[in-house]
Amino acid sequence: MDIQFIGENLLPGKIGQFFIVLSFAASLLSTIAYFFAVKNKDEQDKSWTKLGRISFLVNLVSIIGIGSTLFYLILNHYNEYNYVYAHSSKELPVYYIVSAFWEGQEGSFWLWAFWQSILGTILIWKGKTWENGVMTVIAFSQVFLTSMLLGVEIFGQRIGSSPFILLRDAVDLKSMAPVVFADPENFKNYLKFIVDGKGLNPLLQNYWMVIHPPTLFLGFASMVVPFAYGITALWTRRYKDWVKPVLPWTLFAVMILGTGIIMGSFWAYEALNFGGFWAWDPVENASIIPWLTLIAGVHVLIAYKNTGHAFFTAMALMLMSFILVLYASFLTRSGILGDTSVHSFTDLGMFGHLIAYILAFVIISVYFIATRWNELPITHKDEETYSREFWMFIGALVVTVACLQVIVTTSYPVFNKIFGTSKLISNPIEYYNKWQSGFAFLVTLISGFSQYLKYKRTDPRRFYSSLISSIVFSLVLTALFVYFTKVYTNLMFILLTFSCLFAVLSNARLLTGIFSSKGSKLAGSAIAHIGFAILLLGALVAAATSKVVSINATNQIDVRDFEKNQKPGENIMLFKNEPKKMGKYTVTYISDTTIAPNTIYTLNFKVIDAAGKVKEEFEVNPNVQQNEKMGLISSPDTKHYLTSDIYTHMTSVKANEEEHGDHEGHAEEENFKAPRIVTLAVGDTIHTSSGVLTVNPINRNPVVKHLKLAPSDLAIGLPLVVDVSGKIYKAEPLFLVKGNNTFDFARNIEELGLRLRFTKVLPDQNKFEVQVYEKPQQAKDWVVFKSIEFPLINLYWVGTIIMVVGFLISIFRRKKELKTS
Amino acid sequence: MRKSAIIGLITIAICIGFLVSLNAETDTYSNFNEASSSNKEEHVIGHWEKTKGTHYDAIKDPNHFAFYMKDEKGDVKKVVLNGTKPQDFERSEKLVVIGKMENETFRASKILMKCPSKYNDEMVEVSQDGQVKQYKKS
Repeated sequence: MDIQFIGENLLPGKIGQFFIVLSFAASLLSTIAYFFAVKNKDEQDKSWTKLGRISFLVNLVSIIGIGSTLFYLILNHYNEYNYVYAHSSKELPVYYIVSAFWEGQEGSFWLWAFWQSILGTILIWKGKTWENGVMTVIAFSQVFLTSMLLGVEIFGQRIGSSPFILLRDAVDLKSMAPVVFADPENFKNYLKFIVDGKGLNPLLQNYWMVIHPPTLFLGFASMVVPFAYGITALWTRRYKDWVKPVLPWTLFAVMILGTGIIMGSFWAYEALNFGGFWAWDPVENASIIPWLTLIAGVHVLIAYKNTGHAFFTAMALMLMSFILVLYASFLTRSGILGDTSVHSFTDLGMFGHLIAYILAFVIISVYFIATRWNELPITHKDEETYSREFWMFIGALVVTVACLQVIVTTSYPVFNKIFGTSKLISNPIEYYNKWQSGFAFLVTLISGFSQYLKYKRTDPRRFYSSLISSIVFSLVLTALFVYFTKVYTNLMFILLTFSCLFAVLSNARLLTGIFSSKGSKLAGSAIAHIGFAILLLGALVAAATSKVVSINATNQIDVRDFEKNQKPGENIMLFKNEPKKMGKYTVTYISDTTIAPNTIYTLNFKVIDAAGKVKEEFEVNPNVQQNEKMGLISSPDTKHYLTSDIYTHMTSVKANEEEHGDHEGHAEEENFKAPRIVTLAVGDTIHTSSGVLTVNPINRNPVVKHLKLAPSDLAIGLPLVVDVSGKIYKAEPLFLVKGNNTFDFARNIEELGLRLRFTKVLPDQNKFEVQVYEKPQQAKDWVVFKSIEFPLINLYWVGTIIMVVGFLISIFRRKKELKTS
Repeated sequence: MRKSAIIGLITIAICIGFLVSLNAETDTYSNFNEASSSNKEEHVIGHWEKTKGTHYDAIKDPNHFAFYMKDEKGDVKKVVLNGTKPQDFERSEKLVVIGKMENETFRASKILMKCPSKYNDEMVEVSQDGQVKQYKKS
């Protein structure tokens, strides 16, 4: 007899699982139906197409059904489901529940499948004569994606991983809490003990994580469309008319994927603390690999459209791009990168499954290319050197080789696995930068001068004469730019600056003709090229000249075991309210606020000139989460200027500890160091560790609660002011003569860890005795932080936006062409 | 010679160049013993020696983090990192320290940690009063 568990909601999971099976079956049926629709030679008979459509729509509906069910489960915290338990928790606000939804493998596969079914539906509607072929391929791809969610066992082999698996099936509850669940009564009622889910990784609790995954996966999903068009063109032998319908889709895929990738880099910059926007992490590489080949594909395709050359290259790049999408998801999802990447998924038993997915599509591509080889419109003529298509082709080649470099280097763990080696690349980031900056130089250079070339043939003399002014102008600009941004440390940086500026100028020249019919045609590509070049320039300057600013100006700490020969550390420690000089900045840790689970710190940055005037002042609010499971999680905050960013994150903070409550038997002074006893007159100042203390004129009529003064009594207040780099704290300790006794009432400034006593009046000297108690440093709040300056990083974001606008214009242009033809 | 052939040759040359450079850039993991006789930065793989704890006192020096690591040969050496204590250090299953050996102390410029992936399941113990405690996988 099975155990009857108490309190589980099993129905939603069953509905969800039903939708998964339905979506899988429907996409399989759709593939078969569309396949026969292509085979069917009778133009009048639409029955196969109809069946294909209906089953694909059933697939769409069930995909939405899966998503709604899963969302319902997460929203209601049904922790009996493993996915809910593992990725969400009750403290998450609704918008982060959305990101919890796609944190796991299954959720992100769902997202991909969702977009693919949306795109498929659009193609049913808009595909016209291409529908049957294209939809066969897309539905087939959908079969693989939905099978990843199945989570059923066939012949002892688990296929896919379902988001509706119950917690008690996924996890061995009894080993989780052996003592508790040894009691069968407790075990039956296990849900009573699962009070909350494990929550979302705090690094993902960022608004970019709400929109970055959907964009990225729309990009991945849209890569199937050019592939499907390519296969259909080969299959149905429509080699020539393939170009026009595929172009807008290819541009769309390139645009969306590019945007998704850069959103990811923005997330890295805003929420992660690896100190930058791009780190050549394998997961980042996996997303850029297909983007590069598709970019190359777009260019060769346009060249083919205008000249009839390079058909095979265009086709091969289109097909390859989708296969690389699959390879990229294999890299990130099979667990093979486990040792090299921090954010790859672990193996959910999809290793073989993912390989099958790749192989299926490789075989389809190879089969069609091989069987159609002799019919393909391949020309064997050399291109003219002075022609646009020749340089488009070369540009595409450079991009492909650049992509190859990324693939091979990223695939190192795969080679290790295949050959049983354990090699590693000593300095991957430098290695990538070195090669990729060379490729970027070539690409921008080509995208610049090829704008002066026409298709087919250009007169070399005219080409050079029109080129010369741009070159001279770019050289001047480069000199200025390099001087002001200080990127002259490296020849490659100078060359790249030149090539980027040259690309911007050359493409901008095209825009002058934007209102003529010919000029407006090229506007999209010119704008996209300009955006790309600006983006590269921004990335170059920010990466090449970023510098750590949190270097202590007086870094002389003599600690045993810490030899002087080391480079100065990049982290600075600050005590609360004790300003410290750091380069041109004076930094003060002003306050912190805890809004569970995060603590937000306020650091004040000031630039003080020689005359002591504050020239510049700002505050940053980095936050820290002291996560039980993951330790200290720190999110940066950035001060944005037009020309640079100051990026700051905490690297260590004082651990939260129990407040030391007031209770009997403790002297007030026990938390303080021995006092400093000083005699001061009105207007005198002394330095304390937190700031400058000034004595204000005495107050003869202090108001003190619960204190009745007889006429003979005397009470004096001594107003003291502490100035902590501009911030004022006040305290008024009290001196009292009552009868024959003297008393004093101390005052504390909690924020500064300061206790002040007014202990004597010295009337003959017109002075007062004050005792200053300070907390020892160990007891004060402190933070350790790191600040990095990124110059001109705004160029990176601006370039992105310009590039996307360029893509949009191109898409509309290519769509218009489609209509007019 | 045809232009496409020339381009093809150049491309192949670049690819070979990059494969050769890749080979030169690769390295294999080393251990403390090898690192002490090497004068370049080495990647030493090992585990944190938990019994000896960690040393980080931000008040004394925010850029000094020290701990003991046992390498794959079983040697235990002190490792000093010029920086703060990395996030998650206690949870690391495996460490790779990159740096040089100096008088029996390994000066690390970088520490890589292999932690149980954040996407990975982690065992927790749920106690009777609803408190969730971490439960170590054996």
